[in-house]
Amino acid sequence: MTKIVVVTSGKGGVGKTTTSASFATGLAMRGKKTVVIDFDVGLRNLDLIMGCERRVVFDFVNVIHGEANLRQALIRDKNHENLHVLAASQTRDKDALTQDGVEKVLKDLAAEGFDYIVCDSPAGIERGAHLAMYFADEALVVTNPEVSSVRDSDRVLGLLASKTRKVEAGEGRVKEHLVLTRYNPARVAKGEMLSVDDVKEILAIPLLGVIPESAGVLTSSNAGTPVILDKTSDAGQAYDDVVARFLGEERPQRFLTAKKEGLLSKLFGG
Amino acid sequence: MAKAKPALEIKGRLLSITRIRVLEDDAGLIEAQVANLARQLGPAAQGLPVLIEAEQALDLGPLLRALRGHGIRPLAAIEGALDGPAAQAGLPLIPADVLSEAAAKPGPAPAPAAPAAPTPAPAPAPARRTRIVTEPVRSGQQIYAEGSDLILLAAVSAGAEVIADGCVHVYARLAGRAIAGARGDESARVFCKRMEAELLAVAGVYAVAEQIQGELRGKPAQALIAHGKLMIDKLDW
Repeated sequence: MTKIVVVTSGKGGVGKTTTSASFATGLAMRGKKTVVIDFDVGLRNLDLIMGCERRVVFDFVNVIHGEANLRQALIRDKNHENLHVLAASQTRDKDALTQDGVEKVLKDLAAEGFDYIVCDSPAGIERGAHLAMYFADEALVVTNPEVSSVRDSDRVLGLLASKTRKVEAGEGRVKEHLVLTRYNPARVAKGEMLSVDDVKEILAIPLLGVIPESAGVLTSSNAGTPVILDKTSDAGQAYDDVVARFLGEERPQRFLTAKKEGLLSKLFGG
Repeated sequence: MAKAKPALEIKGRLLSITRIRVLEDDAGLIEAQVANLARQLGPAAQGLPVLIEAEQALDLGPLLRALRGHGIRPLAAIEGALDGPAAQAGLPLIPADVLSEAAAKPGPAPAPAAPAAPTPAPAPAPARRTRIVTEPVRSGQQIYAEGSDLILLAAVSAGAEVIADGCVHVYARLAGRAIAGARGDESARVFCKRMEAELLAVAGVYAVAEQIQGELRGKPAQALIAHGKLMIDKLDW
């Protein structure tokens, strides 16, 4: 059974694409045949984060419009042979996506035997974001510990509970997971950021994981390698936890408290 | 071993059933009024279950004939003065205290006697159903309970709007907007377990967060109209 997972948030810049890339890579590393689709038509980024931007020939929109077949458009990851990327088109806009077209591509991917289809949603709640979530079985709601991000996620949760195929067909609901990104325990302690508990209380969905704010994320993005592959970075380890928990493993939450500052870093301002 | 499937399911016992109280033991008047009632109810009269009560013993024959003649279904008589007549008519008896709660409210039973007076339709309207929402109400969602109360069992997020023609009850955090008495019912109220509302309104009178006293924030509270003004009060929970 193919599972469709949407990575969504409402707000832009919170880490959807970073999460999609690491999550899909993590699933593939655990032996799941996975494809990650960039729904951000016109502002394509996923290929950069996945490091396959120089191998894109055909894209998602080409497949929808019948200009290429699915196999031509799927880009296989260099390091994980059961990981594939379906890039967005940079020259089109979101109107190039149609519901029937998206549905057909997802069905064809299921027929190809994929275990997981990860849909990287664009920001906003318009067409692109709507179609990214519409066929989902589960959702990773990516949120920053900040009030406007939390409110936008709340809005998206409302849409997941009403504007999805599963709900409209009366087949239950989309399973929601909270991924709290860019978490900085030191700033939380100072009261400058919302805490995990604040966000959990407002959104009232189960917490899948907390990703600490980390320099490793930017470095990995620029290098075109999903941060989950960087075992030394705390963000990479946190994404590894996220994937493990998603697949049913029990792992305690980490990165919720600030690291003890050493004497040196105190002296030099850290 | 699998447990045998139960043959019966025992449901709630409080029913809302129309009661007919006999005031005048006059077969002609009774027949006329039942006919009038049946006409007002239209198709709703068919199979409508009713209970019968009276202060004194009387012959139930004419009333039962009139009711059944119009398709109304007498279920039972209420214990007391009608013990004898009900037994004679083969009608079951119901102890009065079973229904005491329902009796507290003026029932939708037809108005007494005076068959000539065009009584304001005492239609036993389908009991006003309360709308109950168990899912959280998220930012951007709007819920309107038309003609009824609205009960919310999960949080109402900032940017969400919950509206009722009757009262709004939020048994959780209320961080969005809550509007009671949307069609002008000044007796409507908003109740919430944790008041963090952006706006509270009753019958068009409203207060925004800035106007709501700080010490009520996060506390159980209610909003109501008193002397034409919106009052926000704490609730002792």
